[in-house]
Amino acid sequence: MPLPDTMFCAQQIRIPPELPDILKQFTKAAIRTQPADVLQWSAGYFSALSRGDPLPVKDRIEMPMATQKTDTGLTQGLLKVLHKQCSHKEYVELADLEQKWKNLCLPVEKFRALLQLDPCKDKIEGIRFLALGCSMLGGSLNTAMKHLCEILTADPEGGPARIPFETFSYVYRYLSGLDSDIPASDTESYLSSLKDSVDSRKNGMIGLSDFLHSKEENLENLEKKTQKT
Amino acid sequence: MQTNCGGRRQAAPGEGEVAVLGGTREALARPWHVTELGARVPRVCDRRWTTRSRGAPSVPGEAAEGGPQGTRPGRTAPTQAPQSHTQKWGRGPRRPPQASAGDHHARLLHAQAQRQGRRGWAESRPEVPRRTGLPPKPASRNFPEVPLPAGTLGCWATGAGGAGGLSAAPSKPSVAPTSYPGNFPSSPLPFLTPLLASRNPCPWHYVHLSGSHDTFVATCFEAKLHRERSGLTLGVACTLTDSASRAMATYTYTYTSRPRALPCRRRRYRDDQMQPAEEAMRYGNIMYDRRVIRGSTYALQTAPLPGQPDPAETQRQQRATRRALARKRAQEQLRPRTPDPVEGRKHVDVQTELYLEEIADRIIEVDVECQTDAFLDKPPTLLFIPAKTGKDVATQILEGELFDFDLEVKPMLEVLVGKTIEQSLLEVMEEEELANLRARQRAHEELRNVELAEVQRLEERERRHREEKERRKQQQWQVVHKHNETAQKIAAQAFAQRYLADLLPSVFSSLRDGGYFYDPVERDIEIGFLPWLMNEVDKTMERSMVGRTVVDMLIREVVEKRLSLYERKEDKHSSLKPEDGLSGPGGMRDPLEGYEFQGHGASQAQRPLPHRDSPQRTPYDARYMQRVSSQERKLMEEEDEQTEMRQSFRSEELLQ
Repeated sequence: MPLPDTMFCAQQIRIPPELPDILKQFTKAAIRTQPADVLQWSAGYFSALSRGDPLPVKDRIEMPMATQKTDTGLTQGLLKVLHKQCSHKEYVELADLEQKWKNLCLPVEKFRALLQLDPCKDKIEGIRFLALGCSMLGGSLNTAMKHLCEILTADPEGGPARIPFETFSYVYRYLSGLDSDIPASDTESYLSSLKDSVDSRKNGMIGLSDFLHSKEENLENLEKKTQKT
Repeated sequence: MQTNCGGRRQAAPGEGEVAVLGGTREALARPWHVTELGARVPRVCDRRWTTRSRGAPSVPGEAAEGGPQGTRPGRTAPTQAPQSHTQKWGRGPRRPPQASAGDHHARLLHAQAQRQGRRGWAESRPEVPRRTGLPPKPASRNFPEVPLPAGTLGCWATGAGGAGGLSAAPSKPSVAPTSYPGNFPSSPLPFLTPLLASRNPCPWHYVHLSGSHDTFVATCFEAKLHRERSGLTLGVACTLTDSASRAMATYTYTYTSRPRALPCRRRRYRDDQMQPAEEAMRYGNIMYDRRVIRGSTYALQTAPLPGQPDPAETQRQQRATRRALARKRAQEQLRPRTPDPVEGRKHVDVQTELYLEEIADRIIEVDVECQTDAFLDKPPTLLFIPAKTGKDVATQILEGELFDFDLEVKPMLEVLVGKTIEQSLLEVMEEEELANLRARQRAHEELRNVELAEVQRLEERERRHREEKERRKQQQWQVVHKHNETAQKIAAQAFAQRYLADLLPSVFSSLRDGGYFYDPVERDIEIGFLPWLMNEVDKTMERSMVGRTVVDMLIREVVEKRLSLYERKEDKHSSLKPEDGLSGPGGMRDPLEGYEFQGHGASQAQRPLPHRDSPQRTPYDARYMQRVSSQERKLMEEEDEQTEMRQSFRSEELLQ
């Protein structure tokens, strides 16, 4: 029986059955993502939802360790969201990327600054953008690689965070190439040493423990050498 | 009635031994008794159909003294002839016995008897004169009959018979009027007596005639029996029978009765519902019948006041009889019968006769059914709606006046949003917690894996170190071992060298002594040549010996011839000296030896190869043989030596 045109009591108000679920998921996403500008983020969320794209939602809640006052405001979670949204294509449109950046309530200036490191025209390789973002997150190259591994890995969170060695070497070369201080020979030697250790396990995957540990070992070796000398 | 009896009784005591009870089956009793019994026992009436031959106890004395009877001349029925004392009146054709059957019948009869008993006497009385119409004979032979008791009895009997007739009324309605006691004896009498009066004076007979329902055959038999009995009991009976027989002589006893089966003590078939009346046909010993008084009747006078029999006594007796009847019936019921049919079956009468006949009296059953309509379901009760009370009033409300959506939706939205936020917060927290736990777990696992790998690595290193150590130890041990071994070998070698230093010369010397080192030419000569040589020598020697033997034989022969010749000559010339020269070579020898040799030679000639061991060997031969044998022995010894040496050598080798 259709509702009469006029309503007389509160019992006649009808709530669409999908509304509570959508509302709940949205609320959960908002709580989890903690966007600075909820409205902006909501626009992005619902547009992604309507288009069927991956939603701009963090997998895990992040304590607000990154504020836009002192740093870029970019976090690993946000980078992961970005990567998730762009990973289906190899090359990403800059405009699209900027829109997504904005939807995550990140300042556009930072985006521009990020792109200045590797200037390009219309589109940028997704992995490169990710590598740039990672380099923005932490200071050293190793931390950047660590973030990258954590973002790219298919292992569950807290796991060894292994990624294919090819990707690792590509990103490493790319990032070290950007840094003019590091000579290419060092990079190659480091990569070759890593490759030996990876090949010994024969699965072609490199984890966090591999290069972080190897770094420590290298340091130890260096110390030993210095002591000997 | 009792007065009647009383009257009769007064007459009876004198001699009245026998009174016939018409009603009872086989009871003989005193008249007064009879009446009592008759009054009491309604079954008397059952036997109403038999021909009633009424014989008075034909006691002459009685007749003579029948004063009381005489007082009533009407009742004393004088017989027509002195021979025929009894009047017999039959009453029409006999009815079938089953007509008299039935308890209700008996009851009816009883009732009627009671009724008639009251007036019976009065009614019977006026009819007596008819009987008296017969010429009375007050002679000594006049059997006074028991007209009076018989009459009364007859009353009863007829009364009973009348009752029976009543019951059988549908078949024979005409009997009904005759049922009056007085009526009965009177009416058939006029025309029956001449016809059927068989004047049987035997009271027993009478008894049976009247008492037995359908046994007319038995009556004859019983008559005899009673005759005897009466002979025993009453002396009068004999005379009676005599008179009866006399009467029989005059009147042929023409009694006809329906042929019937002999009564059987034991029933063959169950006929409880068919003929219970057959029961009545039991003949007992009258001596034990309680109703028959035995002994002196004087003594008995006091006991029951004759005039008024105790009504209680009567009742009691009635009750007793009824009880007996009931018992009998119960016994019948208790008799074994066909067992009850099995569940679901029932007994059915089946005709077992040879010829089947149609059973016509079967009731045809028809089943008729009727069915009522099924009940209809109760219709549902209508909803109760109370009647409207009050007053209807209308007022107009414009749109939006009553309901404000924004206002109304607020609480709902609050609930919605609040609940959603609360729920999602909870869920996020929960999921975060779980994810944290899982991440921590994985991190821990990762750490553990790393540590495990480290531990493995260390273990491996340790193992390698241990193995290296072991290997080195082993190597060292081997070196030491080899060193020791070498030292021991060297020592042993030195010792052996020193120990074996003087072994070789001794061995060589012993071997040389044993003949192991020899010259091959010498050895060949020794082994191959010398035996051959010896053989050849032997052969040669043998030949020469044979030749010598032949020569010896020749010589001997010649010598013997010569000798013989010589002896002959000697015989001729006995003085003639033997000549030495003539003996020749044979003469050189000892004759004995020659003889010997000759004998031996002869024997040797006979054998081409003389045996060397023969004891008759000639010295020469023996010497030769000795020589040969010594040679042989030497050879043998040499050989022995050689074998010995070989053996020793071998043993030495073995030792070495």
